[in-house]
Amino acid sequence: MSISKLRRWGLILASLGILGILVLQALVFFWVPTEATQGIIQMIFYVHVPAAIVGLYVAFGILALTSVLYLWLGDDKLDQAGVAAAEGGMVFTTVVLLTGPLWGKIAWGTYWTWDPRLTLTLLLWFIYLGYFLVRASTQNPERGKRFAAVVGIVGALDIPLIHMSVLWFRSLHPGPVVMKPGSPTLAPQMLTTFMVGMFSFILLFLGLFALRFALEIASRTAATRARAAQT
Amino acid sequence: MHRALRFFSRLALPVLLSAALALPAAAQALPGTDLGAETLRPYHFVFLAYALAWILVFGWVVSIARRLARLEKHLED
Repeated sequence: MSISKLRRWGLILASLGILGILVLQALVFFWVPTEATQGIIQMIFYVHVPAAIVGLYVAFGILALTSVLYLWLGDDKLDQAGVAAAEGGMVFTTVVLLTGPLWGKIAWGTYWTWDPRLTLTLLLWFIYLGYFLVRASTQNPERGKRFAAVVGIVGALDIPLIHMSVLWFRSLHPGPVVMKPGSPTLAPQMLTTFMVGMFSFILLFLGLFALRFALEIASRTAATRARAAQT
Repeated sequence: MHRALRFFSRLALPVLLSAALALPAAAQALPGTDLGAETLRPYHFVFLAYALAWILVFGWVVSIARRLARLEKHLED
């Protein structure tokens, strides 16, 4: 796909995502009922969980896939897509790590506890921080890309652990209410609001991923041209 | 392209402004009582959570837009 096509699709998807987010915001503040036991603090769910799904499953899923394919095929485009996905994954995982403690302070009485899911998510954030550090700290760029791809794959091994941690270990974190066997256990209005949030986040991420991917392709092309002009 | 990205980046401002305006308004609902502070705390946290989320996401939008603009300027030069 050409850079101009990526940018066009990126803008379209990001626009739809932003529209969806505005709708989500309206639904959260004016339409969805307040949860009976948790009260108003449960509203954080509509931004926390979609951010987790986009960051952990979509963005880092794309990163893991492109990393495997890059190690296999050695195509530079796959590495560029991996960088774009990793950056988005970091943004959305940071949203998860900031909004979760705000909910926890009210629900649990503490911002942070070394619960398996929280700890594994923080670990994942540090692993993908390492993805950028490895890339930046290697003198040979080709070697840096390969090392980063390995980090991208190793980090992905943490994702199923994060998902299953609330079932496998004793955990304070609420269990799954949507992504679980059987039907979701959410009230219809809450489920609608959640789905609007999830699809908006996915569209916004895909749009920004396409724009970031286009940026990465263009910047590497410019760097290659500059090197060629010097020699 | 840049105008559209700039438009997205400017969307962050009204969202943050509305959150900032809503916080003091909510805090004044039950003035001067501990009960009020306790009751309104979750509201503050919800606004803070959404504000942080939008700052991070729109920060990424702005960062991509700025890097794209810089790169295009560099290529034009």
